[in-house]
Order: sequence, then C-alpha cells, then structure tokens
Amino acid sequence: MAEEAKHKFAFYLGCIAPNRYPGVEAASIKAMKKLGVELVPLKGASCCPAPGAFGSIDLNVFYAMAARNLVLAEQMKMDIALVCNGCYKSIWEVNHKLKHNKDLKDAVNEVLKEVDMEYKGSINVYHTAELLYNDKFIGVQKVKDSVTNPLKGARIAVHYGCHLVKPHKDREFEKEVMLNTECPTWMEELVAAIGATPVEYRNKMQCCGAGGGVRGFDIVHALDITNEKLINLKEAKVDALTDICPFCQLQFDRGQIEIEEKFGVKYNLPVLHFAELLGLAQGMSPQDLGLDLHGISCEPFLQKVL
Amino acid sequence: MAEKKKTTKKTETKKQDVKKEAPVKQEVRKEAPAAAAKTVAAPGATAKQQPRIGVFICHCGTNIAGSMDIPDVQEYTKTISNVAYVDNYKYVCSMPGQSVIIKAIEDHKLTGVVVAACSPRLHEPTFRRATKEGGLNPFRFEMANIREQNSWVHMHDREGSTAKAKDAIRIAVAKASLLQDLFPKTVPVEKAAMVVGAGVAGMQAALDLAAAGIKTYLIESDMSIGGRMSQLDKTFPTLDCSQCILTPKMVDVGRSENIQLMTWSEVDAVEGFIGNFDVTVRKKARGVISMEEAEAKGIKGGGCNGCGDCEAPCPVVKPNEFEVGMKPRKAIYINHPQVVPLLYTIDFNSCIKCGLCVTACGEKKAIDLEAKDEFVKVKVGTVILATGYDIFPIEKKTEWGYKRFENVITSLEFERLICASGPTGGHLIRPSDGETPKRVAFVLCAGSRDNTGIGKPYCSRFCCMYSLKHAHQIYEKIPGVQSYLLYMDIRSFGKMYEEFYYRIQDEGAKFIRGRVANILEDEKTKNLHVYTDDTLLDRPIDLEVDLVVLAAAVEPKADTNRTRKLFGVSCSMDGWLLEAHPKLNPCGTTTAGVFLAGVCQGPKDIPDTVASAEGAASAASIPIHKGEVELEPYFAMCIDEKCAGCGMCVNLCPYSALALVEKDGRTVMEVTEAKCKGCGTCGGFCPGGAIWMNHFATPQVVAQIDAFLLGGEQ
Repeated sequence: MAEEAKHKFAFYLGCIAPNRYPGVEAASIKAMKKLGVELVPLKGASCCPAPGAFGSIDLNVFYAMAARNLVLAEQMKMDIALVCNGCYKSIWEVNHKLKHNKDLKDAVNEVLKEVDMEYKGSINVYHTAELLYNDKFIGVQKVKDSVTNPLKGARIAVHYGCHLVKPHKDREFEKEVMLNTECPTWMEELVAAIGATPVEYRNKMQCCGAGGGVRGFDIVHALDITNEKLINLKEAKVDALTDICPFCQLQFDRGQIEIEEKFGVKYNLPVLHFAELLGLAQGMSPQDLGLDLHGISCEPFLQKVL
Repeated sequence: MAEKKKTTKKTETKKQDVKKEAPVKQEVRKEAPAAAAKTVAAPGATAKQQPRIGVFICHCGTNIAGSMDIPDVQEYTKTISNVAYVDNYKYVCSMPGQSVIIKAIEDHKLTGVVVAACSPRLHEPTFRRATKEGGLNPFRFEMANIREQNSWVHMHDREGSTAKAKDAIRIAVAKASLLQDLFPKTVPVEKAAMVVGAGVAGMQAALDLAAAGIKTYLIESDMSIGGRMSQLDKTFPTLDCSQCILTPKMVDVGRSENIQLMTWSEVDAVEGFIGNFDVTVRKKARGVISMEEAEAKGIKGGGCNGCGDCEAPCPVVKPNEFEVGMKPRKAIYINHPQVVPLLYTIDFNSCIKCGLCVTACGEKKAIDLEAKDEFVKVKVGTVILATGYDIFPIEKKTEWGYKRFENVITSLEFERLICASGPTGGHLIRPSDGETPKRVAFVLCAGSRDNTGIGKPYCSRFCCMYSLKHAHQIYEKIPGVQSYLLYMDIRSFGKMYEEFYYRIQDEGAKFIRGRVANILEDEKTKNLHVYTDDTLLDRPIDLEVDLVVLAAAVEPKADTNRTRKLFGVSCSMDGWLLEAHPKLNPCGTTTAGVFLAGVCQGPKDIPDTVASAEGAASAASIPIHKGEVELEPYFAMCIDEKCAGCGMCVNLCPYSALALVEKDGRTVMEVTEAKCKGCGTCGGFCPGGAIWMNHFATPQVVAQIDAFLLGGEQ
C-alpha cells in the first residue's frame, strides 16, 4: 500500500467541494494515493475564479486571479490536479491562454507584480478524471485493479459536465485522448472499471443547468434544465448519477430539493462525484466519504452496492 | 559624423568608401555598377557602355499618388546614378503611357527601362512589349512595385511610403543597369492532351479537345466514367434528370475517335515539361478484357459484351460503392446499368478466384483471373486535371449522429434513394424501418462554413441548391410530406437559382434559420429530435422528424497530395488545387501546360464545372494549336570552367532539370532549359559559383542589395 507515489500534483480544491461535499476531497486524496498519485495541498489558493460569474463580468480579474493560483503551483514546481469542471475551465484555460499569448501574459504579470508574483508558464493543469483515464498517469486497468468492493449491479449514468469537454478546439485532452465531444464514453469505461453498469440516457451531454452563471441569474430556468435531465435519467432507470464536477453535483443534488419545492416533483436520485464512487469501490465507508452530507439520501444506492 | 565613421570601420571597407566623403559618393555610385558589369563573366555578356536608364513613375490614379509624394520621388530619382530620364504619368499602362516609354527610349537613347507601378504579375508583359517596341530587348525592363507592396499597405503613412518608393526605384535601377538581352526559346508541342478524371468536368474537357482535333487520353481511376454527376438523380434548378443529360456525353466520350478512354487506370509517373510530357499510366488489373483486346489476342467474337452472365454465379457479396453501400454487388460487377464502357471489372480484393465466372463466360474468354497491372507510356503536350472531390466524413460532426442513428443520412444517400435507378427504385424510405418519411429535415452547411476545427471553413457552394431540390423532390413524390430546411444563409446565386428558391418556398418547405446544435434519436420510434435555434424568432426549437438529411461538405480528394507531386501543382490553404490566378487565370497552374477543371480547384456546381472544363480545354489547346511554346529565358546556365561536377545541384533541383554530362573529358552539369523554372535553388547553392541564373544573376542581385544597403540618402 505504501507504494512510492509516482506522480505528485498540487491539489486545487476549488470552493464547492470543500464547503459542500468534503467527501470529494477525502476520496480524491485517498483513492489517488492507492493509484500512485499524491495530491499535495495547494496552500493559499483562492477561488478559481468561477468562469461564469467572473469571466463574464471582468476578464482581467478572471485572468489575474487564475494566474495567481497557477503561480502558487509554479512555486511548488508541481502540475495542478483539480476535481471540478468549472475550475478546469478557469485554471486550465487561463494557463493555456497565457502560454500562447505573450501580450496577455505581460498584462497579467503587470497585475501580479503588485503581489510580488510572476507567471512563468512552467506547469500543466489536469482534471483528476483525466488522470484516472489517461494511461500516461493511471489508466482504466489500474483503476480496475484497485477495486476491492466492486459496485456490482448498480446502474449508473454519467454526467460529464460542459467545461471539461468544450469548446472542442480548445481542449487538448479532449482532442488527444477522448476524441469525441458530443458522445464521449470514456467516463462510462471508468464506471465499468469499478464494477457498476454504465447506462446511456437521452441527451446525455445536456448542461446540468447551473453553469455559466445561469443558476445565480435565473434559478427557475436553471432548474428547468435540470428537471429535463432528471426526467431522462428516470426513464433510463438508473440507481445513481455520477459526475466529475461539484457544481454539477450541487445542481443535481440540492437541485432535486428545489425542484420538489418549485415544481412539486420528486426524484430521489442519488448523485455522487466519481471520486466518491471510486472511494466506495476501494472500500472506504460512506461516513469517511461524508455521503450523509448529500441533499438526496444515498441510502438506497448504498444498500444495493455494499 | 566622425564618430559614426569609427563605428562603421569594422564593417566592410566598401561601405566606408561610400560613406567617407559626400561629394565623391555620386561618382563611386556611378562607377560601381559599371565595374560590376566588367567582372560579369556572363555567357554572352556584351554591353560595356554606360547604362542609361529611363524611370517612369505611375500614379495609378490615386492608388499610388494618393499615398505618396510623386514629385519628391521623381526629384530623388533624378539623382540616382545611371538614370538618364525620369517621367511620371497618371496611368503608365495606358496606351499614351506606353507611348511615353517608347518615345523616351528613342529620344534619350535608353539602355534599360524601369516602371515604378504595380506588381509585375499584373503589367510586366505590358511594359516588356513597350520596351520592345521602343527598340530594346524586352528583358531590359525592370519593375519597381510601389503599389501592392507600398501604397496599398502604407496607405496612411505618406512619409514612409515615399521613402520606400525611393528605395524600390533605386534597387530597380541598379538591376536594370546590369540587365542583359535575353532570347526566349521555343519548344515544339506534342499534338495530344491528357485529361485526368472522367467526371463531367473531365468528359467535357476531353470532348472539347477531341472536337478541336486533338488526340486526348482520358484517364479514370474508377471502372466507368461519369463521376459524381452520374450518382445524382436530378439537377437544379432545371430539374432535368442527371443521367439523361449525362449519358449522351458519356456515349460521345466512348465513341469519339480522338478520345482514348482509359478506365480503371491511374497516372503513375510524369516526366517532361509543357509540350512534351511523358506520362506513365498504370492500367489496374481488371480481370476482364474488352472485345477489342480479345480481337487483338486472336479470340474471335470474344471479350466482354456486358451480358452479365458472370455476375449471377459469383458467390461474393459486397456493398456497392456507387450506391453508397445501400445495394449489394458481386466481386465481378459494373457500377450501374448505363456504364460506359460496358465492361465488367473484378474486385480482386474480394475475389476468391473460384472460377465460376470464367465458366459462365465460356467461349467469350473475357475473364482472366491472373491479370496483372500494366503500364502504358504516352506523350502529351498539355494536361488537364479534373480529379473531383470527396464527401467530408460527416460522422466527425458527432453531434448530428450520422452513423449512430439509422435515420440520419447524407445528401448523396438521399440522391440514390430518390433516384429511380437506385436501390429502392426511387422510393424514399427511412433506413430503420423502410417506412416513407412524412417529416424530413435538411441540415445545410453540414461541415461547411465551420470554424470549430472539425469541419471546413469554406462554403461548399452547391448544398443550398441541391437541398432546395431535395425538398422539391419529396413534395413531388410523397403526398402530405413536410420538409424543414435548417440553414445559415440560402446562397442561391446562380442563373434562375433565386427563382427556384421562391418556388420551393411556395411548395411549402419550411425554412428555419439556425445552426443545428444536436440531433437525438427517440429509441422507440427511431424518430429524430433536431435541436436548433430559430434565430429569426429568437427561440430554441425541438423539431421531431422522421428523417434527417445532412448536406455534407465536400473536401479535396484523399490522394490530392499525390496528384500535386506528380504534376507539380500547388494547393491553397484549404487543400484544393491552386489556380495560377483566382480571377484572371482560373484554369492555369504554376506549372506551364498543366490546367485545372471542375471541383478539384474548389467547390463548383455543374454549370460552373462545365464552364471551367471548357475554359481549361480552350487553354490547354492553345499551345497545341500553336505548335510551339515560348519559354521564359530565366533558366540556369552552367559555367563549365567553374563547374567541379560535384552534382549536388542535380539532387536539389525540384524540376529534375539538371544532369551531369561528360564534356571535353570533364564531368559538368547540364541544364535542360525547357524544364528549368529559374527558381534559383541550384544557383544559390553551387559552392563554386558555377551556375549563372539568367535575369537573376549574382551581379544583378548583389547590385540590388548594394543599392538598398549602401545607396540610400545618408
């Protein structure tokens, strides 16, 4: 077990995971360790910042804040690993933009000078799901080998979330490894690897409803989109939905309570981050994973798989 | 000034000489080119007299004069050494403008002419003619580009463009002072032509050439001619049946005495140059011989007569490519019943050589299961490329579900399904259940005008119109059907096209302006939900239909690079073969004697394709009818005394124009002048300086560089 970690990453937590779903953090650190990846806390990190909320109001603030987080990791001489699609959009994309646009980089460094920092462009940014799937780091087979409690018999649907896969032309991981923006199946491979049955459902790639500031701006509209996804998921008769983005998770999990209040419909569909599922499959207890903190009870699902 | 001299001391001594004293400067400059001329060991170098250059500055209306100070440029030009006369004129290219040049040559005994105007691509020939009319050798002319490379790009920098014009003129004068008389060579032209590709473009070009009395080899890689057009059902906007108007042409091609049709054949190698191309054609193993071939072999009454007896017993079943895989074929087959030539072909990749076809063929002895590829060499004067296009693999646009959802088809599949000779006898059906669709969506710009990096950035140019035609065809055949055209813009630009658009609107087609976001399938009904924006009503739309037809983009042929290398043709950024000039020489290429017809040059509908084919045929017949071609005398020449015979230039030459030969007991390089394009690769490389590039000789180019670096106003 105490295998020397092959890869070390600066672990960028973001906002929602530590505040709403602490299990995601615990599961990621523990599960990745078993797969030879050490996640080292990225101390002093700020909000990523949220791409919809900040990016659509003031790009300069957006670039500078993301660059500051990148500089912290540069100082640790480590690539960043993160667990949220929103963070991926901000931090990966800003890193990519700054690396390829000298004018922008100079402008950002002008701002960073005020806090005695300089962005160099010396590190890369990865989503943990990307690390799990990509053979260069871990790969599906290793994930499969690490499972001690396969989630047999569970029908699990995947929500990819938008920011990790789109826009296609700006996503290197997407182009080189996943190959398909509109109908990807690599997450399903990971679901199968932990022993569960991946389930396809109608309009899989539709947005959760929350992203891009929609939830903050017009919650009824956001919930309407979420409701449509939940209808499709119900039709596919799934036991749980898995995601790789705490913001999507929030929208599906807390969103079900809000939908019940606003539309009077009840789904009771457990929603788990893939890190939480992987933790379960590797033998972590629901308490360790903080699954009792979810808005929608995971009990029926847990009874099926434990 | 003194300090400045010190800093420049370390650099060339020559530079110091020039800078030392201002009064001497003029003289040094006057002598420098003359001294250089003396050292010119040019073959055939004659003139030793002091050059007298006339400079003519063109206003080009306000194109040039609006952005720079012409009088200032003219005053400056007078101070340049060797300049004997300077003038300016509103349009030097006009007849009176040219007369100014002709008169000045006589009046001022000029030895060279410089026109400061537009790009030499535009008017070099014009001014060369004027130079010749004035009594000078036309190659004593040099052009200074002060429009495209100056006034147009520095439109708002009057001072800068004036200074740049002075530089450009000084450089041109330096070269003009050293120019030599050159005499273009002529080579005879073989009275035969080749057309590669026998779609409608290639057939039209071949028919025109043949009608003009030129022996034409028509090469087609498929087993029959007709190309894409033979796969289409009807053509827009006239709605005549594609096969009906194409078949007569196909028959003409087959019958024309001047056309030698070579199907199931590919160009394997090309050597030579305009007037004298030696082309090797690979005749792919067909396994079936024609009646003519049988007669030549002494098999009386034998050879394939297209009876089809061989097809029935063949046990191999494969998807028919001509029917876009929607109909089966055997390993020995023809594309469709109207093929020209009517000659069966064996697909040796799937043939199991059971021999049942040989038995069925019997006494005709047309089948040879051991056939091998054959190579045929032909000599032609000019070549027309009419290689056509491929369909963009629209499954790459995964959001539209082609190849994932059965009821999403492409336009070409639609053409075959609606065509009476197609796999369903002309009944449009849903592939999932064979039912007649009642709601059909046509997705336009599928992969065209796409900047996502997956599709093509260009407009495929004929999808709008054929989609309108498709909508018409379903109204014609299916009562109560509803069609939806999901479009970005309807580009109905041709003759009677806009009228056709109105007609389809009146027939009831619904037009929804919006880019289709994605298409989803209802698993139970196999109906499709098309999600799009209606940007005119500003609302999202979920459209349920029975069938979706994707108007897939077109793209250059997969083997375009091979074609390019064979014929020395460039391609544009989007991969289509590159014309010599998009407006003024759309059929020519940068390789003399090679022309383009049809879609290989860029997307075209049938009228434009045929027009371009006729243009190419006309252009390709000119050198043949003229009987000889004049080659620009820009070829390289070997100075035998200096050549060490190392042969390094031979490998570098991109045109295979150089060879090593024995001369007076020494190995030296020899240039085939007709093949040489004067690119200068060899001349720039030659370690011994033994290669003289006509019109771009080292002393001439060095004089230009000197004029730029040393001759400016200090």
